Amino acid sequence: MRFTLLLAASACIMAAVLSYLSGRESRLLRADPDSIPKNSAVMAFALSRGEPLFEMHCATCHGAQGEGDPRRGVPALDDGDWLYGTGQVSDIEQVAKYGIRSYHRRAWNLAIMPAYATPRPSARDGRIPSLAPGDIRDLVEFLFRAQTRTADAAAAARGAVVFAGVGGCYDCHAADAKGDSAIGAPDLTDRITLYGDGSRESLAMSIGYGRHGMCPAWADRIEPVGIREVAVFVYSLSRTRGHAGIAIRAVAPGAG
Amino acid sequence: MAAPDPNERCGQASQVSSRRSFIFLGCGALLGLLMAGYSLFTARGTSTLVVPPEDVALVNQQPLSRSDYLQQLQTLFGVNLAHATREQRQKVMNDMIREELFVQRGRELDVASTDPEVRAALVNAVELEIAADAVTAQPTERQLQDYYRSHHERYASEGIMVLRDYVFAPGESAAAAAAAEALKLAAPTPALLARLHASDSGRVNGEEFYFAAKIHLGEPLFEIARHLADGEVSAAIAEADAIHVLYMFQNKKPAAFDFATARDQVLTDYRSDAIGHLRTGDEAFLRKRANVLIADDAR
Repeated sequence: MRFTLLLAASACIMAAVLSYLSGRESRLLRADPDSIPKNSAVMAFALSRGEPLFEMHCATCHGAQGEGDPRRGVPALDDGDWLYGTGQVSDIEQVAKYGIRSYHRRAWNLAIMPAYATPRPSARDGRIPSLAPGDIRDLVEFLFRAQTRTADAAAAARGAVVFAGVGGCYDCHAADAKGDSAIGAPDLTDRITLYGDGSRESLAMSIGYGRHGMCPAWADRIEPVGIREVAVFVYSLSRTRGHAGIAIRAVAPGAG
Repeated sequence: MAAPDPNERCGQASQVSSRRSFIFLGCGALLGLLMAGYSLFTARGTSTLVVPPEDVALVNQQPLSRSDYLQQLQTLFGVNLAHATREQRQKVMNDMIREELFVQRGRELDVASTDPEVRAALVNAVELEIAADAVTAQPTERQLQDYYRSHHERYASEGIMVLRDYVFAPGESAAAAAAAEALKLAAPTPALLARLHASDSGRVNGEEFYFAAKIHLGEPLFEIARHLADGEVSAAIAEADAIHVLYMFQNKKPAAFDFATARDQVLTDYRSDAIGHLRTGDEAFLRKRANVLIADDAR
């Protein structure tokens, strides 16, 4: 008799717990993603479940604290600087779900940095021409000047012409070189570099040999609620260091 | 007064009671039915009366994703859910339902069997799906280093050369040979070139990557040029159009990238190969399980 009562009580408790969790998952999923940070209860629930998922699926590349790795072109997620979108939960969720250059139809696939020191800089767009070695050096000086670092003025002026002309750089990075987060084109004026240390050599490598990192699409591997939990967790990481993190990563003035 | 029949009441907890057993059995059955009913009407993949929280609608049991709905709102109107008006939400919802209905109708009509664009899109979608599977697996650093070692010839900088291509008329082989000898002794100056009657072909101008020089010079001349050291002069080279003498100012040969420098490219190539293998494997599997009959005259 006691055993039967214990069993019935356990079943009831389990059903209640499942129902409670299911209710919280539903609230998390039905919430406007960008308003979740304002709801402390939903936020706490998402964070507690998002962290283990992040460790399992994302930390391999992005690091346990989302610190990234500029040697490998892995973006830091804890610095408040966003290449794709504006860092809202909905933006992060889209990246986690469909990835970047992940071969998923809905991934962010538009921006691919051409390899200008090769015969065919862009596999996708045959109209993009190769550049001469001098053009690439001039572009680097132009970028240094745009970042208010010490630069060769004459070379920077020539680089500006290449940027706005034959190189076609303005097409993605915008005429003012401030980039376009709608396609994932980085701001070239802010001294934050995804690849390398921002030196002349690493900038020349990026221009000469291109960049096209990728983030997998997790849509078919993580449940929708899990993707949202990860997105909320990454959002919280980005608020850890915030804009102070940008300053830490930025190249020191005059360096290079 | 007669003693109460223990079977009429539930009796003490330590005693067997058939009435109590039936009550528990009934409760258990009821609880089981309730749980089964709840699961049946809410579980994914079954006919359900409840829209799952991750979706915004079900169209003939086909879910419309909530995140796609939000994305569509953002794309069409540039607003998030909190700032979207009722009309905007309605418009997006109607568009998504319409699209889903037409997709379902397209499947009923089997448009893939007749419409070449749909067929191409399906092939492309399946290829992308295979590729997406391949890229989700993150290779280890060890795997990447092994790949780099086995394909190290791919990872090098593009060579750069600064040279001049001096030309002589086809009959002036002696003058060309003399010019080659003279240029071995002194760097080309306008005066020297005038004295040698050498003119610049204009094919190459300034610093060029190897691939550009190869296009401009043509393969035979480029093959000779790329072996010249700084300040070295080629022999006179007779070609159909003229006799050429190449003077190399600077030849910066391709330099191998170390693993750290090449890692990004190594990872891309590694994944491309993995995708290629996976696609080949998938195609082989599909062919193996398919029943393909080919007409005699088409074999």
